[in-house]
Amino acid sequence: MTKKIVSGNEAVAYAALRSGVNVITGYPGTPSSEVIGSLMKMGKIEGTKIEWSTNEKVAVEIAATAAWAGKRSLCTMKMSGLNVAYDSLIGIAFSGCIGGMVIYVCDDPGVTTGMCEQDTRGFALMSDMVMLDPKSVQESYDFIKYAFELSEEIQYPVFVRSVTNVAQSHSSVDIEERVMPNLDAPVVKKDINKYAKAGAVMCMNQHRELIDGLQKAAAILEKKGINKLALAGAKGGIGLITTGVCNGYIDEALDIAAEYGCKIDNLSTLRVSASVPYPVKEIQDLLRHCAIVVVVEENDPYIEREAYVQAHTIGVNTKIIGKLDKTLSRVGSFSAIHAAKALCKACNVELPAEAIEYGKEAAAKCTARPITCCAGCPHRGTYMAINKAVKNAKYKKEEVIVTGDIGCTILGMNPPFNTVWMEISMGASIPCAHGFVYAGVDKPVIATIGDSTFFHGGMPGLINAIQHNMNMTAIIMDNGWTAMTGMQVNPNTAHEFQVEGCKNVDLVNVVKGMGVDNLFVVDPYNLAETTAALDQALALPGLKVIVARRECAIQANRRKVKYALITVDYDKCNSCKSCINTTGCPAITLGENGIIIDPKQCNGCGLCAQTCNKSAIVREVI
Amino acid sequence: MANKSYNIYIVGLGGQGVLTIGDLISDVAIKKGYDVNFYPTKGMSQRGGFVQGQIRIGCPEVGPNIPPKGADLVIAMERSEALKAVRFMKPKGDFVLYGLVWAPTAVMLGKADYPSLDEVKGELEATGANVLILDPELLPEYNGLKVRENLFVLGAAMARSGLKDILSVEDIARGIKETWPKGAEENLFAFECGYKAAQS
Repeated sequence: MTKKIVSGNEAVAYAALRSGVNVITGYPGTPSSEVIGSLMKMGKIEGTKIEWSTNEKVAVEIAATAAWAGKRSLCTMKMSGLNVAYDSLIGIAFSGCIGGMVIYVCDDPGVTTGMCEQDTRGFALMSDMVMLDPKSVQESYDFIKYAFELSEEIQYPVFVRSVTNVAQSHSSVDIEERVMPNLDAPVVKKDINKYAKAGAVMCMNQHRELIDGLQKAAAILEKKGINKLALAGAKGGIGLITTGVCNGYIDEALDIAAEYGCKIDNLSTLRVSASVPYPVKEIQDLLRHCAIVVVVEENDPYIEREAYVQAHTIGVNTKIIGKLDKTLSRVGSFSAIHAAKALCKACNVELPAEAIEYGKEAAAKCTARPITCCAGCPHRGTYMAINKAVKNAKYKKEEVIVTGDIGCTILGMNPPFNTVWMEISMGASIPCAHGFVYAGVDKPVIATIGDSTFFHGGMPGLINAIQHNMNMTAIIMDNGWTAMTGMQVNPNTAHEFQVEGCKNVDLVNVVKGMGVDNLFVVDPYNLAETTAALDQALALPGLKVIVARRECAIQANRRKVKYALITVDYDKCNSCKSCINTTGCPAITLGENGIIIDPKQCNGCGLCAQTCNKSAIVREVI
Repeated sequence: MANKSYNIYIVGLGGQGVLTIGDLISDVAIKKGYDVNFYPTKGMSQRGGFVQGQIRIGCPEVGPNIPPKGADLVIAMERSEALKAVRFMKPKGDFVLYGLVWAPTAVMLGKADYPSLDEVKGELEATGANVLILDPELLPEYNGLKVRENLFVLGAAMARSGLKDILSVEDIARGIKETWPKGAEENLFAFECGYKAAQS
């Protein structure tokens, strides 16, 4: 055993290795990516198969059958990824598993990663699956190990659900040595009653058994005492229920409440660490003991609603404070101040709004920094070309809808490009464009999507558009990496960067194979070429696909790739700022005698040189 | 180890080494036997994007988020971004601002405002904290190149904040040597220059 400083995600990786995991699959998604990311950095891990899968649904299916073959499997994703995986996951839950199967999912209350806040506990409830909620890095480690044991004991998959500020926190954890996975020959039993669904009787039997399985889990969890109930003082006092990460805010909240005149002695507490199945007995005991129960949980009031149900069931009039009485919000991440607010309410003290809102006015004066493309980003060339082609075709920018997708490609929504109009989910850009065409939009409609997103969820939408011969243009912005989540490999990543034994699936061949008649492959660093392809695409009828292909600049920079040397001819530069206005490149600043290009950031993409109409920016090939 | 609790909020921009000093402080504090939780937020950040770190030292059970007015020490690495830290500053705590101006493109083009030094100073002083503003001009050179600004600012924070009651200069120096075995001399120089700059 060694003490290591690790993140919550790394703790999950180490705990899985300690648990003798055979198979680990997942799709990148901040804040969950470092589980597989850290494992991939460890080099070859003999006996354990680890992969970035094409999408979360694929990942969870692989993990499921590994567990059906008696092996231990872990599947990782962010909360939005669970939406993708869920079609299969509910079916997997009905069938159960043999080897331990753990689904690690990260929610993001407070939206640090720019996706919808969603509370994954709702999914656990819908598929009757156990959900453990670690409050810390240490618990992330402990709960993964326990989840494997529990999954094997109940023979159903188990969720471990983290949140961004736990998954990405760093702390010291005792890391135990890896346990080699069970490498015995797999035993796969043919049993359609367990593993197939087509048949009302077999499917309803599976449902009954699943519900029984969760009941069994409830008894096991209660016996283990994973949800910690501590009744204090005489009956009639105040109780506090916290869940997951909020379990860490209790002492601090009491201190803050005391500052506002609420000195609470003998606070009874229930720290919920397994939110599904609901800790019914503990909730009932707390409700019987207390006159008021405060519930502090991020996002949706699941435990709070259950407290109302249980108060009704046992016939007590305990007052419940939380979100349903509007004391706390369903939006955002909490700190101790939120728990303090609810505790004050229990003491009939209104915490002044200022206590929670403090400092927000000052923060609002901070200069906005819309995220933009990195210096040398190939997507920059694509946005510039779209804007140019729209103008060439004599349309106003407001007339040409450009749908966007998840990942770096969405950055085109921000200045200076203001090109992309919307995003929904992985792969949605192409069907979104399709819908606008059906709606009767008579101007060109363009969809933009990255390469990893295309393989993840974009292909069905494109096939649909091809089949229905839609009059629209789809641009696949192919930078060869799953970039925004921290540079993971995807099917389209160049062969030399694939994990050993894996092969590259060429995106252009795939699109050709789908039967696209009008296919253009361009280099987005070449503004004239990319614009010309767009000019043509906007004029042609039917479906057009443009693959704008150039490696992500960040990844190329890591290998010290410089494409050219860019210099400024100060005799010609008249500080018109057109290069800054058009490219928004972070490597360009305005100096006293003209623009300045930071040689440390500049990779020589040359897009600025192609926009300068004074020829003041010189691109010299090295 | 003493169970004194200490919270640090660090804010700055991608590329300034904000999270590096967060790692360094956490590392050193953990080696000294403190319970530490360090929560870096980089989200979608990139070079020049918003970065923050929350370090919670000395509490066996504590959530990652610092509540309003909960930070004993704030380190802000950029003038405008410092305004985001006001929310966390504990009255009578220590606020160390490295007064660098890193203007985003819109400001450079005259399309957006950037807060003046007086405006920022006013906001920081209104928190009731001890405010130290370091002029970026003070950043020294080592072998003809500017040193790392993050270690310079950390040195200043060590000299002028309650952090010295948690960790000693020697603790941090040891941490620097362990983190950068090759660049130890230069980085210690940056740290010491910051320490001296804050004393004068």
